[in-house]
Amino acid sequence: MAVPAKTSSTTAWWLIAPGVIWMTLFLVIPILMIVYVSFWTQTTFKIESTLTLASWQQFFASDTYITSLFTTVRIWLIVLIATLVIGYPTALYVGLFVKNKTLSTILLVICVIPFWTSFLIRVLAWRPMLGKEGAINIILQKFGIISAPIEALLFTELSVIIGMTQIYCVFMVGPIAFMLGRIDPNIIEASRDLGAGFWRIFRKIIFPLSLPGVVVGAIFVSVMVLGEFATASALSGRKVNLLGNIIVTQVGSLKWALASVVGVILTIVMGIVVALFLRIVDLRREL
Amino acid sequence: MTAEAHIFRLDAVSKRYGVTVALDNINLSVERNEYVSLLGPSGSGKTVLLRTIAGFETPDEGRIEINGRDVSSLPAHERGIGFVFQNFALFPHLSVADNIGFGLANRNDPLPHDEIVDRVSDIIKLVGLEGLGARGVGQISGGQKQRVALARTLVTEPKLILLDEPLGALDANLRGRMRNELRAIRERLGVTFLHVTGSETEALAMGDRVIVLDRGHIAQFDHPDHVYSKPATPNVAKFLNRYNMFDGSISGSAFKSEYGDLAFIQKTKSDHPAYAVRYDRVAVDSDGSAGKGPSLPANFIASEYLGSSIMYFFEAIGGKVIEVEHHLSHGAPKTFEPKKSYRLRWKPEDAIVFG
Repeated sequence: MAVPAKTSSTTAWWLIAPGVIWMTLFLVIPILMIVYVSFWTQTTFKIESTLTLASWQQFFASDTYITSLFTTVRIWLIVLIATLVIGYPTALYVGLFVKNKTLSTILLVICVIPFWTSFLIRVLAWRPMLGKEGAINIILQKFGIISAPIEALLFTELSVIIGMTQIYCVFMVGPIAFMLGRIDPNIIEASRDLGAGFWRIFRKIIFPLSLPGVVVGAIFVSVMVLGEFATASALSGRKVNLLGNIIVTQVGSLKWALASVVGVILTIVMGIVVALFLRIVDLRREL
Repeated sequence: MTAEAHIFRLDAVSKRYGVTVALDNINLSVERNEYVSLLGPSGSGKTVLLRTIAGFETPDEGRIEINGRDVSSLPAHERGIGFVFQNFALFPHLSVADNIGFGLANRNDPLPHDEIVDRVSDIIKLVGLEGLGARGVGQISGGQKQRVALARTLVTEPKLILLDEPLGALDANLRGRMRNELRAIRERLGVTFLHVTGSETEALAMGDRVIVLDRGHIAQFDHPDHVYSKPATPNVAKFLNRYNMFDGSISGSAFKSEYGDLAFIQKTKSDHPAYAVRYDRVAVDSDGSAGKGPSLPANFIASEYLGSSIMYFFEAIGGKVIEVEHHLSHGAPKTFEPKKSYRLRWKPEDAIVFG
């Protein structure tokens, strides 16, 4: 069997080669470069490859930067929970309660339709919704629920959270609906026949079987929210600064070393988050 | 007979999907402690009937009684029945023991943990799954999955278990073994099994009684030997796959077919005239003359060796294939020449005639 074994390993190598080359050129080398540049010496107008810890010290000595690290983590957690709370029931409906496969596909496509417009327009569209004289305030006033407009709706952390939840929710719905759609309806009938009520079936059968979808959705949402900057700058009026916003500002003023430090920290945070999620389920086995 | 002698009874049950009639005025009662097989070709409504008894489908009309209680409006889990799915429908994320204990642990009044463990280990022994309790259901064989599916239902102690083509997902060898086991397990527990199958051999081999379903109504409900030797309608004879069937009409004491007048002795009342003769009741005569009794000329095509018997295929006028079964215990197989004409004959008393 030596010859076929050799052939198959050669074939395997050729199959993974494009991926390996691509990942090396555009992922591994850039990450190493960022780590390297984060130790370079930054002066006002130029950057030199002399190694120093100065940029790292600058980051950890600054209240602004540390605060933005915590803001990033806080907003990520809130958005993650919000997308899960809104996304799971939606996915449950689309993936499990809608028996008609065509209808459930149509519903999923409807979830994706907002993505046919540009990201920036989707974010900016929240301004006329949430503003002092925006749609929500006008409606609430018309119905006499409030007498003065709620100003906290726009240019606050709340508006950033609302905007992000709306934009990223579909990334939670998709994978969960996919996993739920794969559950054999006979399994649910069997558990009902064995006497389990709806909540028992949900807790013991449906939720565990959809968990891989939850984990994949959570990874999608987490990676995107942690790297976010556009929603924060468009909807917070520059009051909410995420790590992504700091990178944009620093790159804008040609402070490559500090931008690299923030980039490395962000990558580490994402790495930890993804690793934690992957501990929940063995995705390779489940998918 | 009192109502308590019946485990379940259907009273004028009908079910339609749009214009298609899936179940047409079904009246049926099955006794306790009985193995009943439900035979029908695909589309005859057998799965709908099973799912209606289980409570997964609601009938449009009629009444369903289980254990002397009207359950027509009750959901599946309040009917006190067990259901074994064709694809087993095991919970893929749970172990064998957790699958089996699911019903006891998750019903509205869950049993205490210790009692669940005891009952699960008892049933694991009963179905022969010792030592596999901790395995995931993805790590066991098809036959073992079948046992888990059965054990999961048996442990909740239903009086009636409905099995939807339970052997369909198994290979031929395993199917034979599981047949015996299903019967043995049922006898040990004294519950009633209603076993849906599309295989006539399975239905006849397993059922104490056999229900034959034809386009939404019950064509015959009888002991397997009666179904086999005295099919009630031409379609039942056709489903059994053991009869040569001829079209035609009755005229006086003969059956007029395209092969001439075929003699018979008894006839069964039916709307559709047909003449049937069992494969193993046909004899092959190398003498081509008509002679006495019903017979017809046919050309030999091929033979098929089946171990205990041999099947001969002949082609009659008009291309109709006629099968003849020769049991090897009745003598050595004969050899026939392909394309040569022979005469197939049988005794008039072996003919089953509908009309």
